[in-house]
Amino acid sequence: MDINKNIPDSESGTSQPVIVISDLHKSFGSNRVLAGFSISLLKGENLVVLGKSGSGKSVLIKCIIGLMKPDRGTIEMFGKNIPDLGAMELDEIRVKVGFLFQSNALYDSMTVRDNLEFPLRRHWIKLTQGEVDDMVMNALSDVGLEHTVDMMPVELSGGMRKRIALARTLILKPEIILYDEPTTGLDPITGKEIISLMVDLKRKYNTSSLIISHDMNCVRMAGDRIAVLVDGICYATGTYEKLKQLEDSRVKQFFE
Amino acid sequence: MVSKSINNTKLGVFVLFGLLFLIILLYMIGKNRNMFGSNFRLKARFENVQGLKPGNNVRFGGIEVGTVKKVIIINDTMMEVQMIVNEDMKSVIHKNAMVSIGTDGLVGNKVVNITASKEPALLVEDGDILPSKKQVDTDEMLRTLYKTNNEVALIAANLKTTTEHINSSSALWNLLNDKTLPANLHQSGNNIRMATQQANEMMTALGNIVEDVKNGKGSVGSLLADTSFAVNLNAAILKIKAVGSEADSLAQQISAVVSGLKNDIETGKGTVNALLKDSGMVNKLNRSLNNIQQGTEGFNQSMEALKHNILLRGYFRKQERKEKKQQAGDK
Amino acid sequence: MYLVNTETVKSFFNELGALSLFTGRFFTQCFRPRYELAEFFRQCFIIGYKSLPLVALTGFIMGLVLTLQLRPSMVDYGVESQIPVIVGIAIIREIGPVITALIFAGKIGSSIGAELGSMKVTEQIDAMEVSGTNPFKYLVVTRVLACTFMLPVLIMLSDAISLYGSYLGVNVKGVTSFSLFWTQVFDNLSFNDVLPAFTKTFFFGFAVGIIGCYKGFNSSKGTEGVGRSANSAVVMSSIMIFVIDLLAVQVTDLLGFN
Repeated sequence: MDINKNIPDSESGTSQPVIVISDLHKSFGSNRVLAGFSISLLKGENLVVLGKSGSGKSVLIKCIIGLMKPDRGTIEMFGKNIPDLGAMELDEIRVKVGFLFQSNALYDSMTVRDNLEFPLRRHWIKLTQGEVDDMVMNALSDVGLEHTVDMMPVELSGGMRKRIALARTLILKPEIILYDEPTTGLDPITGKEIISLMVDLKRKYNTSSLIISHDMNCVRMAGDRIAVLVDGICYATGTYEKLKQLEDSRVKQFFE
Repeated sequence: MVSKSINNTKLGVFVLFGLLFLIILLYMIGKNRNMFGSNFRLKARFENVQGLKPGNNVRFGGIEVGTVKKVIIINDTMMEVQMIVNEDMKSVIHKNAMVSIGTDGLVGNKVVNITASKEPALLVEDGDILPSKKQVDTDEMLRTLYKTNNEVALIAANLKTTTEHINSSSALWNLLNDKTLPANLHQSGNNIRMATQQANEMMTALGNIVEDVKNGKGSVGSLLADTSFAVNLNAAILKIKAVGSEADSLAQQISAVVSGLKNDIETGKGTVNALLKDSGMVNKLNRSLNNIQQGTEGFNQSMEALKHNILLRGYFRKQERKEKKQQAGDK
Repeated sequence: MYLVNTETVKSFFNELGALSLFTGRFFTQCFRPRYELAEFFRQCFIIGYKSLPLVALTGFIMGLVLTLQLRPSMVDYGVESQIPVIVGIAIIREIGPVITALIFAGKIGSSIGAELGSMKVTEQIDAMEVSGTNPFKYLVVTRVLACTFMLPVLIMLSDAISLYGSYLGVNVKGVTSFSLFWTQVFDNLSFNDVLPAFTKTFFFGFAVGIIGCYKGFNSSKGTEGVGRSANSAVVMSSIMIFVIDLLAVQVTDLLGFN
């Protein structure tokens, strides 16, 4: 599979940035997690933010979706600065932004159908029962798990759960999808399946994606562009091949 | 969706039953307090309500007919109990029904008992104050019983010593066995009565004379000239007085003796020994009675002498004539 | 040379302050739309209806055992006939509410603590927020309100079942007719027995709900953290029930309802 086929030419300016992050700071007590992180996500690209565990990747992605407030800095999305928004405005943005959680975050007390219906019903979208059913089944067929519709999350395997979570992320047809370590906790083969599914679906729905990961398989397969997060800043950006050839020890450690 | 509505039904039934029990509970309490249905008020006043509280039951003939609404203090010796009574009782309770405070069982709650009276009376109306009966307060009852017991013990002890004295005393038996004593006493009494009667007559006569003198009738002149008569009269009056006072003191003496006797027997103290052992007392008593007899005899004689006095002879004669005339007139 | 570890005291007050803030947040969120009615009813069903078998069983045994235990002493004093009166007052005023609330704290406090704790650590709470749901309203407000309104219902039913147990207890050794038993129970109760006891049950329910939610919502990462929040939710809400009970006695006494 040629993953470099769809690389947008960021230099040419033909692609608009959909998320512009600049000078993001976040500390927990004396622990500075983000210290002036800046990056832009361009329309239609798959951006992978690469970093070690505890380097602040998850904090970054949670700041983007508004689950955390940065200490300083701006995150512009759909023309709005996320840290300034109230709950109602955030909800408007969140309809257009999907978020795949590291631990899937499927609601244990609900069936797969209810899990998928939840965002549809909660976002003040007027839909008939038939429309909801269609959307649920479409999302499940996208991830190939139509038969699980009335099962409980605990009855599913880790890979299936990840796919259901992906289906739930996609059900609102978001313009941007944020992936928080999509392959964590999965065996390499299942991880690869998930990544190829992600890439296929991205192509199908033409979304922009920001992927947080430390899994090199994921980085290699899904990343159109890669940003290395070290010491709270965007240390280096570039394609997989480009970064692999860098001699900088801080970048090199990921590629060994 | 179906299971959801079933769940909601179950939830509804669950909540309903919970509330039902609460409502039943509150309704039963309210019913016991006569909050539902029509009622009327009755009052009663007590000196002591003995811890009666609002909510205590009111019974009429042992049947619960209402509850106590309020207990208020009217003044330092009067408490008013306000009761709420079932409307139906208006046609049963009369105005003279007695209200008392009792206890439900030995250690139970206080209850107000309304007892019907047998006398006829009007039926009660709203807000009537019914007469109250002070019921037996156990505390007070026990206190009284204790006091009475003590006194009974004391009396018994006294009675014992007295009877012992009586049994061992010969003088009292002599006194009591002397049959002449009552006869003498009786006679003395008669004499005294006669003497006073005569003294009375005498006084009336004197009154009449004085009246006559005032009116300027009869021999006033001679009367005033005759100094010897005045002396006589004086002496007579003095004698009457003396006899009267003698009789008086005698009567007092007798009563003193009798009451002393009585007292001594009752208390068994002091002079009783002397009295009961002194056989001379009986003789003294006899002598006193003789004296009284002699005194009255003397008085009688004086009275007779007075009759025959020159000055008063006219008066007595006039009296006689009047009587005769009257007798003739009657004939 | 401190008798009490200052760190312990500090953490106690930290906890208390955080719980107060959490309670304040509950009240600010509670009255603002959007109202999660469907979820509230679902929680009422889970918290109330599903707790009924447990509460009914414990209530029944409580009434039965209390009666059987009281009986010898009552017979000694010769007031055997007063057993329904005493049991009725004891159950309605104190034993029913407190025991049921403790059972409730054990069952519901721990389950809320564990449920919210695991939702917290598996990011389900974040997921809700991302899905356009205020997780505080959806999870906390509904559960706290459900606890607040369901515990009084449970306690009423538990009281009724306890008294029925007591009726059977009376009839194990003696004989009392059903209607005489209830007449005796009702005749000797007053509003001052029922209403303060009923009112405090709302506070019991609220305490169990808010402490369970607080512990779950602030659960630390990992399965151990979930277990700890469930456990400390039960401990703290049980203590809270006794504290509220003590305060309720004082307040009703001050207000003259005794």
